[in-house]
Amino acid sequence: MKFIVSSNLLLKNLQSISGVLSSNNTLPILDDFLFEINEETLKITASDLETTMSVKILLTMSEEKGIVAIPAKILLDTLKTLPDIPVTFNINDDNFAVEMLAGEGKYKLSGHNGEEYPVTPVVEGGYSFNINSLTLAEAIAKTVFAAGNDELRPVMSGVYLEMSEDQTSFVATDAHKLVRYSRLDVKSDNEASIILPTKPLNQLKNILTHNDIEVKIEYNNKNAFFSFGNVHLVCKLIEGKYPNYTAVIPIDNPNKLHIERIPLLNSIKRVSIFANQSTHQIRFKISGKELVLSAEDIDYSNEARERLNCNFEGEDMEIGFNSKFLQEMLNNTGTEEVIIEMSQPNRAGLLIPVDEENQNVDILMLVMPVMLNN
Amino acid sequence: MQTDNRTIVHLDLDTFFVSVERLMNSSLVGKPVIIGGTSDRGVVASCSYEARQFGVSSAMPMKMALNLCNDAIIIRGDMEQYSKYSRMVTDIIAEQAPVYEKASIDEHYLDITGMDRFFGSLKWTHELRQRIISQTGLPISLGLSVNKTVSKIATGEAKPNGEIQVEKQRVMPFLGPLSIRKIPMIGTKTFQLLRSMGVVNIHTLSMIPPEMMEKLMGKNGLDIWKKANGIDHTPVVPYSEQKSISTETTFEQDTIEVVRMREILSSMVEKIAFQMRKKGKLTGCVTVKIRYSNFDTHTLQKTIPYTSFDHVLTKIALELFDKLYQRRMLIRLIGVRFSHLVSGMQQLNLFDDTPEMINLYQAMDRIRLRFGAKAIRHAVSLMPGDAGGKAAANKQKLLYRELRDIDEL
Repeated sequence: MKFIVSSNLLLKNLQSISGVLSSNNTLPILDDFLFEINEETLKITASDLETTMSVKILLTMSEEKGIVAIPAKILLDTLKTLPDIPVTFNINDDNFAVEMLAGEGKYKLSGHNGEEYPVTPVVEGGYSFNINSLTLAEAIAKTVFAAGNDELRPVMSGVYLEMSEDQTSFVATDAHKLVRYSRLDVKSDNEASIILPTKPLNQLKNILTHNDIEVKIEYNNKNAFFSFGNVHLVCKLIEGKYPNYTAVIPIDNPNKLHIERIPLLNSIKRVSIFANQSTHQIRFKISGKELVLSAEDIDYSNEARERLNCNFEGEDMEIGFNSKFLQEMLNNTGTEEVIIEMSQPNRAGLLIPVDEENQNVDILMLVMPVMLNN
Repeated sequence: MQTDNRTIVHLDLDTFFVSVERLMNSSLVGKPVIIGGTSDRGVVASCSYEARQFGVSSAMPMKMALNLCNDAIIIRGDMEQYSKYSRMVTDIIAEQAPVYEKASIDEHYLDITGMDRFFGSLKWTHELRQRIISQTGLPISLGLSVNKTVSKIATGEAKPNGEIQVEKQRVMPFLGPLSIRKIPMIGTKTFQLLRSMGVVNIHTLSMIPPEMMEKLMGKNGLDIWKKANGIDHTPVVPYSEQKSISTETTFEQDTIEVVRMREILSSMVEKIAFQMRKKGKLTGCVTVKIRYSNFDTHTLQKTIPYTSFDHVLTKIALELFDKLYQRRMLIRLIGVRFSHLVSGMQQLNLFDDTPEMINLYQAMDRIRLRFGAKAIRHAVSLMPGDAGGKAAANKQKLLYRELRDIDEL
């Protein structure tokens, strides 16, 4: 088997799927890319069993059909150093030895039998809907940071996708913070919900931001499939029941704090430098038109206090938060102003962006406080 | 760091627990007093010099102590009071000394190197000692020398209520005639070993070639030899933040009652989790310890997200206990420890922590802060079959080794 391909084209496409490769695979063959040659097209696949991603590219020249698995690291490392020149691949069909010819160079490595590569699942009896690539990328970026990593609660390590005829919601939570990103302009014909693992979503986010195209999402009760351009991604869904997140969103929040986002974020950043570096806890004391942020680290006698002007409706209150959570949330908000809605010092606070430009977007963020003992 | 030209002070409160009891009850003055657990397995925590005349010493089983000195007044001891007085002493020292180390509830080391240029070391430490005596009313002894070991030995010689300075040139003449028992590292076993070799005083010990000591007792042998020669480079480490909090229980009688042990474990977790919340701490690691009747000791630990909630910690402690208790053998002791402590408040959870539960925690802690840690408890921590607790305490006769806890506070 023999084919010729441009080195840059190959490298670019390999890199777009190489994020799927895992460093500690149970199957040695998963350290390889799977190359499937079908006349003029080459399909390359990377997989860690949970997520499988493939791209199709056009070859400059090919002889015969064939299939082979080529070690990923050595291939990527070689291609990275090459200028944009045609590379000729000669593959011995008996022992899967790979020979690459590029310019004046000749490189040999041993590939593996492509038939041993795990089979990629195909859609069976599923549903589908379309979403714009930039919308999907934004939805992922706004939610994926809030997902947890607790092995004991696998459902929370993913992003919950809730589809209906009116809207589509992306929800992520680690039980301390929660984000719900709803799109009113993405609709599907039937109501359904799935939990997507974060690894493939991060992969998607990275390559989706480059182009403005339609993404077709298909899913059944086992897998989700994303197809766009020349890329195809399959991932296993996380099984289990997502916690009833709507029940924990407090409805009656009489205390509303209106504040400019950037000054608040900067103050939190500064004050939290003085907080305990394991717990990152800071305190909000709100009275009248004034918000006082404070933090202390008793072990090092560090202490900080900062005063901010704000607009506040409700009763004066004191509430403690993990500053990391607040920073993540404020960083993930684009608006100039935010509202923080609260009820009691031991109940969740809501962070809502003010004047979101896109009318089709509805973002809700929730953060649980720390228990202050006064 | 320069270590060969230092001035180190060792301050040790004389029969500390007894002295505190005497402050509170002057009728105890001049009488043999023993502080310690009163149950069959109780040990002597401290005893007055009057009791020592009868051969009573600390760490001796209470039964044996009573046989030696039947007239002694036994006091159960009040750790809270002792800690309070200990802190008073520490505060006075902290006010005066440049660097100090609280080695235990009644011992402090001070590094006052360089002070002689201004004050005269002995004069300064003498004044510090007088100040402690006059402000707290507790007798205290001190040793002043070139390193921790010699200072500590000097304090031992100064007791009761005295002070000794051992200058650099006098270290060897001072140590030489003393019994090897006086070296802090030498316990009964080592003492017997060295005695069987004919080594009686420190002078003889210091003449043994170090290689031979190393062969005899390994690395410890070398350390002992150095101490016998008045060499000790360990620095005075300033007071450091508490790293862990723990408690353990030795049973009156070894037991295999799993249900009962799980209950005790729950109540221990409840007790120290409250102490942790009181101090504004969270733990990141739980360790459970069991000791079988043959003294085999096993521990198991688990790293967890920072928390101070009873219900989370109890679950983990019981899980560890179930994993740990595999042999169907009698258990003598169980204990639990929280380590990786950080300051902070409990991070609340969206799905598990209902406002009702948080309010319950806050209300219970308020009651405890006002009326004491045992004012309100979960039902599981009360002794079964007796709600009053007192009769049950007699029946079960648990000896809480609170001494150890408080040492770490």
